Amino acid sequence: MEPIAMLFAWMLLIVFLALIACMFEDLESDTGSQSNPNSQVQLAPQVGQVHRFFNKAISGEAPSYAMYCTIAGVIAWVLLSKGVHPIMAIPVGAMVGEVVHVIFATTAHLGRTTAQKRFEQPIYLDVLYGHLLPIATHGFMATLCITAIAYIQSNLGTLSGLPELNHPFALPMLAFIWGITVGAIGSSTGDIHYGTEREFQDRPFGEGKRVVYHGKITRYAECGIRTQKDIVGFCVKYGGPCTGLTFGLIILFENWRTLVGMIAGNYLPDLQATAGNMTAIIGIVLGLMIGIALTVGNVVIVRWARKRYGPFVGE
Amino acid sequence: MDPVLLIIVCVIIGGVLASLGVHLLPVGGAPAAMGTATGIATGTVMLMFGAAMCGLFTASTVATFSNSILLVSLSGAVGSWIMMGVTMLMANIIYVFGTGIVPVSGRIDVDPITKESQKEYKTPQCDGHGVPNVSYISGMVGALLGGFGGAFMYFALLNYANFEPTTAGMAAMGIFVANAIIAAYNIGGTIEGFHDPKFKRLPKALITCFVISLFCGVLVWLAANLGGLIK
Amino acid sequence: MTVTPAVEEEEEKKPTEGFPPDETRLGIISAVIAVIITILLPVLPAVIKAVGVIFALLWGADSVRKTSKYGLGTGVPSIGVLAMGYGIVGAILGTAFASKTGYAAGALGGVLIMGGVGYLSGVMSNSEKFIGMKIPGLERGMMELGLAGSLAMLLQFSIVAGSLNFDVVMDKAISTGIIALLFILSCMAMFHPYNACLGPDERRPRTLMVSVEISGLLCAILGIILVVTAGSMWGVADGVSLVIFGALVWLVFYVKFVKAAMREAYSVVGTGLIKTIE
Repeated sequence: MEPIAMLFAWMLLIVFLALIACMFEDLESDTGSQSNPNSQVQLAPQVGQVHRFFNKAISGEAPSYAMYCTIAGVIAWVLLSKGVHPIMAIPVGAMVGEVVHVIFATTAHLGRTTAQKRFEQPIYLDVLYGHLLPIATHGFMATLCITAIAYIQSNLGTLSGLPELNHPFALPMLAFIWGITVGAIGSSTGDIHYGTEREFQDRPFGEGKRVVYHGKITRYAECGIRTQKDIVGFCVKYGGPCTGLTFGLIILFENWRTLVGMIAGNYLPDLQATAGNMTAIIGIVLGLMIGIALTVGNVVIVRWARKRYGPFVGE
Repeated sequence: MDPVLLIIVCVIIGGVLASLGVHLLPVGGAPAAMGTATGIATGTVMLMFGAAMCGLFTASTVATFSNSILLVSLSGAVGSWIMMGVTMLMANIIYVFGTGIVPVSGRIDVDPITKESQKEYKTPQCDGHGVPNVSYISGMVGALLGGFGGAFMYFALLNYANFEPTTAGMAAMGIFVANAIIAAYNIGGTIEGFHDPKFKRLPKALITCFVISLFCGVLVWLAANLGGLIK
Repeated sequence: MTVTPAVEEEEEKKPTEGFPPDETRLGIISAVIAVIITILLPVLPAVIKAVGVIFALLWGADSVRKTSKYGLGTGVPSIGVLAMGYGIVGAILGTAFASKTGYAAGALGGVLIMGGVGYLSGVMSNSEKFIGMKIPGLERGMMELGLAGSLAMLLQFSIVAGSLNFDVVMDKAISTGIIALLFILSCMAMFHPYNACLGPDERRPRTLMVSVEISGLLCAILGIILVVTAGSMWGVADGVSLVIFGALVWLVFYVKFVKAAMREAYSVVGTGLIKTIE
């Protein structure tokens, strides 16, 4: 098939996988209460609020996702170099990454809860056992998609008929890069919905959460005592898809402007070496225009919020 | 120019731009995830690292068909710029529609760029919330500089020290992250952008990162020389 | 990420098993073991090099714990990532030295230089004229992190590549992208123990068990890689023995940690209601 059409097809597949990956990354960090909102879960016993949350404190999301995705990438790469078909190698790699994930999750929860002995926070075994499988499954989806993206990108040229277009980085390195990026994005966008909205759900909507509320998280749910399983069902309705859309848009813009630059600069389909600089310039100009459009979008949203919501009412 | 000087100068420029970029990013840390502080709700180092990695990805693709250091670095810069732009915009969408908050800054009374007043929209007992326009623009410029620095270092290691792409990427990333962490120590973890009073501590971090990058550049040149990579 | 507040000094309770020696002695023992193993490279089988890796990462985790107790302001992970960032540069430099001089002992030159850079960045971070963090022991801590990071990375390079020849290491360990795995898992082995056990009732022996456990996991994964890309003179047996060794170390210390945590927690209940303490 014609290389340009194949390139666009693989690019769209990568965008789709990226959307799913980041959505599940955010949901997994809500299932395990990782990163920034976890500081509230850590603070709660210290202000006297014993809770039944899963305190998974494995650093921020960026390094931990880098770890799972890199392990998955390395195992997949090792299997691929032995001739195993990608459709077996990629899921097996993701599974090994998730086994490591679950090990880290248990040591984090046990370690943090034991270190809060003086605040009378017990280890609830049903919280510990009951959350390991949701954490593993959500993480598996994210890791699988990221490993697949890394595989497609490192073999993009071979898959579409132009071997020179393979990305110069090795597969594990690509998995590492996207693991860090997906963790950084999930931490910046999705955690807001979990931290500001769901963790303090019995506080008034429409204002920032004041410092005096910190630590006094909502521990009683619609029926009974809240655990992470109640939280993830809420955040999947807004925070998760928004986060997925973020990463999907980023991958879309990045790959699209590179491909359009290649086509408009006559680099494809013959890979003329002299057209290299023009390709890069077109890509840069497109990227700058996209960024300016985003800035204008932000100005519009902030202005709309100020006009519609108005100044702060109350004390 | 002599490869020694080229490599060292490029590493220094990359490291200093990294630390400048870190100072410009609006980072709120853990309180921002609870709507208590302005900025993006993640750690300084990780956000800068993520943006630079995204830029490095595009820059390495461009480096396969372009030999101009300026174009490769600009591609990396624009990659980071897009990533920060989309991330901050979606964060604002979640703040505005998901939690009902108006993005305002907590450190100044009037936005220096759009001249909107900030004080009456702020929740009491909070240090601002969301990503207001001035923090947005500051973040975009910060990501631009950070991505430029990372891609600059990558190109130098790739073409002047003759490392292979993955090696050059990892070494550039190692030096980049060391500079970003030292800059993060300087700001103490959270900053709102160039309008924040903490921004005045920038020169100290620049000097420290200059010295550290100088050493790292010399060491990288030494390694490449002893390993026989520079002919 | 939780920001650690400044912790008051707790009286050092005597460790009941006498298992981990105190911080200075642990540092010296680990350094000596790792250095000896580095000098005797590359004829050793991977299992012995793995012991060196475990000790180097243990030293790094101890150093992170000591430095972070005073509150860094940005959280624990950043100092672990800094250590391994220095570790990559130091290890590449050490490999270059070892290739040029022909002796594996030349690699220690790179390690020492990186320790010096770590000390310098510690001095600049603490002094008033520059960043001014004023954390006691930051200079010594950053120097130890530079040394431990470089030693750990060097030993892992020699496990994966089979020797310390610059071209072989570049070809087998770095260009293949395995260095990304070494980087991030070593980072985790250094900062996860203290980050996971953060809290007022944190106890040093229990925290250090986590570090050994993560190092065991790292060795098991390296063993799987070695089984497939048999490189050193010991062949496939190298990889298989490393997998078994890593899995054993992980199992022993994981079970020890879980038992210690459950024994020392406030209480362990199957399920239960919660309470609010005013």
